[in-house]
Amino acid sequence: MATADNTLGLTAQQAGLARCRFCGALHRLPAANSCRLCGAHISSRKLSSLQRTWAFLIVGLMAYIPANIYPIMITKSFSGNSSDTIFTGILALAQSGSWFVAIVVFVASVCIPVAKFVIIAGLALSLHFQWAMSEHTRHYLHTITEFIGRWSMIDVFVVAVLAALIQLGAILTIEPGAGINAFALSVVFTMFSATSLDPRLIWDGTDSGK
Amino acid sequence: MSQAAPNRKIAFDDLVACASCDWLHYRMTIEKGSRASCARCGHELYTRKPFSVDRTLAASLAGIVFLILSLCLPFLSLSRSGVSSSISVLDAVTALWASDMRWLGLLSLALIALLPTVRLVLLAYVMTRLRYRLGIIPSMFSAMRWAERLEPWAMAEIFMVGVVVSLVKISDLATLSVGPAFWALLGLIITTSLISIFFCKDSVWQLLTTRSA
Repeated sequence: MATADNTLGLTAQQAGLARCRFCGALHRLPAANSCRLCGAHISSRKLSSLQRTWAFLIVGLMAYIPANIYPIMITKSFSGNSSDTIFTGILALAQSGSWFVAIVVFVASVCIPVAKFVIIAGLALSLHFQWAMSEHTRHYLHTITEFIGRWSMIDVFVVAVLAALIQLGAILTIEPGAGINAFALSVVFTMFSATSLDPRLIWDGTDSGK
Repeated sequence: MSQAAPNRKIAFDDLVACASCDWLHYRMTIEKGSRASCARCGHELYTRKPFSVDRTLAASLAGIVFLILSLCLPFLSLSRSGVSSSISVLDAVTALWASDMRWLGLLSLALIALLPTVRLVLLAYVMTRLRYRLGIIPSMFSAMRWAERLEPWAMAEIFMVGVVVSLVKISDLATLSVGPAFWALLGLIITTSLISIFFCKDSVWQLLTTRSA
């Protein structure tokens, strides 16, 4: 613990201070409303953090259901029409031998969203019920959710590119399906959910620094 | 008010609270090129990157050029049975708009083009004024705040992975070739990651707040 001497041994909140989330300036809590340096709104913790996290997470989860049921892409050609859901799209890639790309899409469209639902819900539950779980584990999980969420957008961009590019009239046309709309909504709302969760809540239950 | 306040008398500006866990630290002078991290959770507290303003300015200006190129030039083209089609990045957006996916079209437009542009312009604006000592004005504070808010929503690199996946998906359906905008977008991704290497958020806020005081 080489750095032990440069800490005060308490949080800003315990010292009656709040940190500006943008410029980092500290303020005395009851007095300050907006940052004296940069003008941003000051609050010690994000307002109703858990409530917002749950609200966005539930919307994201609800949108993920139609995203998997409805087709995300409709292929029209002279040999007939076919439609792909997220899952059949991955299967088609795997069957055509593009294993690596199939795995990338599987991770982005299935693993990451599901992992995010589970991790965010787990973190929120653990904060709500104050489960005994190491702060460092929870801190690590929180960092992961903030980092991975945006990568789920891959499938949305794939559909956008294919729908724009494959416009060869009667020979071959690809159109976006209703599922991709729901999928994009699901990604956006889980991103909101992850940013609503205030990481400082993870540490508030503990009184000693490690 | 500060019932648990430390025994030493300290000025506010000598203290730093961890953004991730709120743990209070004394601000230390650190060497150029090094970073201070939180003693409790390990999150980064502040950094001192060398020539941060100059390099960030250079990278964001380069990024703006790459972004304009990648939006205007042809991006991909394909041909099959004598029919060919060529698209720019904006066509990917208008395709969604045309097939009654207006909301999704707007979202993609924002994520691929608008938000990255806005973020780069805001950064370039703040860095130019700092670099040439044009004085600190209030709009620079909001510019910095928005540049930070927009960071997770600028998705050029994710779009690029999406493009590569699409190329693999249709490689056996048609002959594909990539256009100049593809390489411009690659340049944009490189400059964006350079910005995250060069940009020293804490130093910029220090410059903004101490010079204006």
